Amino acid sequence: MSLVAGGTMSPPARRSRPTRLRIGASQIEAWAYVLPALGLFLLFELYPILANLWASVSHPHAAPSLARYAEAASDPVFWVAVRNSVVWVVVSIALEIAIGFPLAVLIELAIPRGRAWFRTLLFLPMVVTPSVIALVFTTIYAPDYGLLYGLFQALGLANSFPAVLGEPAFATYAVIVVNVWQWCGFFVLMYCVGIAQLDAEILDAAAIDGAVGLARVRYVIWPMLRSTHVSLVVLGTIQALQQFPLIYLMTQGGPANASQTLATYIFQTGFDENRMGFASTVAVVLFVLALVLVAVEYAIADNWLARLPLARTRGRAA
Amino acid sequence: MTHAGSRAPSRMLIAYAVLAGACAISLLPTVYMIDISLRNAADSFAPVLIAGHPTLRNYAAVLSHARFLRFFLNSALIAALTVVATLVCVTSLAYALSRLKVRGGAIVLLVIMSALLLPLASLLIPITVLLRTLHLTNSYLGLVGPETSLGIAFGTVIVKGAMDGVPLELEEAALLDGASSLAVLLRIMAPLCRPALLVVAVWQFLFSWNEFFLALVIMSRNAMKTLPLAPLFFEGPYMANPGKLFAILTLIGVVPMLFYAVLQRWFVSGLMAGGVKG
Repeated sequence: MSLVAGGTMSPPARRSRPTRLRIGASQIEAWAYVLPALGLFLLFELYPILANLWASVSHPHAAPSLARYAEAASDPVFWVAVRNSVVWVVVSIALEIAIGFPLAVLIELAIPRGRAWFRTLLFLPMVVTPSVIALVFTTIYAPDYGLLYGLFQALGLANSFPAVLGEPAFATYAVIVVNVWQWCGFFVLMYCVGIAQLDAEILDAAAIDGAVGLARVRYVIWPMLRSTHVSLVVLGTIQALQQFPLIYLMTQGGPANASQTLATYIFQTGFDENRMGFASTVAVVLFVLALVLVAVEYAIADNWLARLPLARTRGRAA
Repeated sequence: MTHAGSRAPSRMLIAYAVLAGACAISLLPTVYMIDISLRNAADSFAPVLIAGHPTLRNYAAVLSHARFLRFFLNSALIAALTVVATLVCVTSLAYALSRLKVRGGAIVLLVIMSALLLPLASLLIPITVLLRTLHLTNSYLGLVGPETSLGIAFGTVIVKGAMDGVPLELEEAALLDGASSLAVLLRIMAPLCRPALLVVAVWQFLFSWNEFFLALVIMSRNAMKTLPLAPLFFEGPYMANPGKLFAILTLIGVVPMLFYAVLQRWFVSGLMAGGVKG
């Protein structure tokens, strides 16, 4: 089957098929099929973006201005949120790939049976409700009765147990760990799908050229999964940026705003403090940050992965 | 494409050991959650994985709680409606783009795909304001609409990919018999794309069942709340009684786990066949 070549993020594949279609649909009829999806997109995605842009510059009794952006720029919590959002993206994705890729390689290439079992068991955290996970991990991290405390106690370290979620230096990372725990299985599954779809001929040719074992993983499989890497990094970026329930339920952005991200700060300023205009401004920043990060990721992917051997053969592999 | 048979058996054993360890870490919090839900009051604060003396009393108490059942019903209804609405939107859009030669179709696809780059938090405030204006907060439609729209981009990738792979000969036969475009979609394309539709349905069900952020701001009335809000609702009352709270958490979490366990075979094979290559 020839399918979405290039993956989720690429522009639509050119239709090279000769025009032999004979479905006698007029343009009006064809657009009737487009309308439900397009309508929902306009209402709940395009309109919100435009409304945010407008709300961030408009003022009830004054001309439109960038005053709220200046307000954000001089707000220290805003900068903490920006920094934490970037930390969320970088740390989550780095760990998810570092854990997910090797596990997928083991599942697909190193074991003769039990693949489906491992893929399923590793994917299970993905399907559990995040607000449930938040409370379970809050208990795991809890001083005096949590599972982690029990481990410290068993090792004789009970006295040096840190207040994991109450320590400004740890709080963000402690929540990111939970996010990584939940999403690794997704990375494993996507890498498994990617590896299973690699062109066996290229793998065999590489084996003849002496690429076996770790060399095969490093110089053949890793670069051939380029489109999987790119899609996972982009998906992981948006996922990390929009993570809300874990932070909201585990730290409320605290202690003292130390684990605030742009997502939680939008909620806090918009709904708790009822500063909708300011929250819209933060939302515009989040939107722009997402675009900038994705653009940077594409640039890195082009520069870095393209230099690896065999990187050029990707795409034809599916 | 595996050559595992030719490997040294010790390497294979190491691979199994690593994978088993990873699975243990991935399952441990769930085991811990279930164990706390089975504890009696005396053991509930013990810092161990398995406390022993399991009891089902917590479940009996929780299941008779009317509010919890209402949350459950709300979640089930919203998830079902979201799945149906998403399938309708995605299937018809993918069909139009794949087969009907919509003028400007490439631009439509690009625009719809751009939604994959929007973090939900950046849309939340205008969506809420819009729903308040339309008097759709605290209504099922108020959640089904945004949740459906958030699933369209991913679903369209999957279903359009599957439809592009369906050979044209199949529908040409039907067209010779004078079938309409809708008949071709319903009788030929949709059945042939069932694996892709199942992937979208599973994904959307899990998304809707677990969705917290939208539900938090749109469903302020207790009667309309969904299950992901239940931990927040019961956290206070059951503060001193983790057994009961964790029975609720287990009941919420076990539904998507069973759902996925039952459907995972088709979900994964649908992904493999569907060219979700990255």
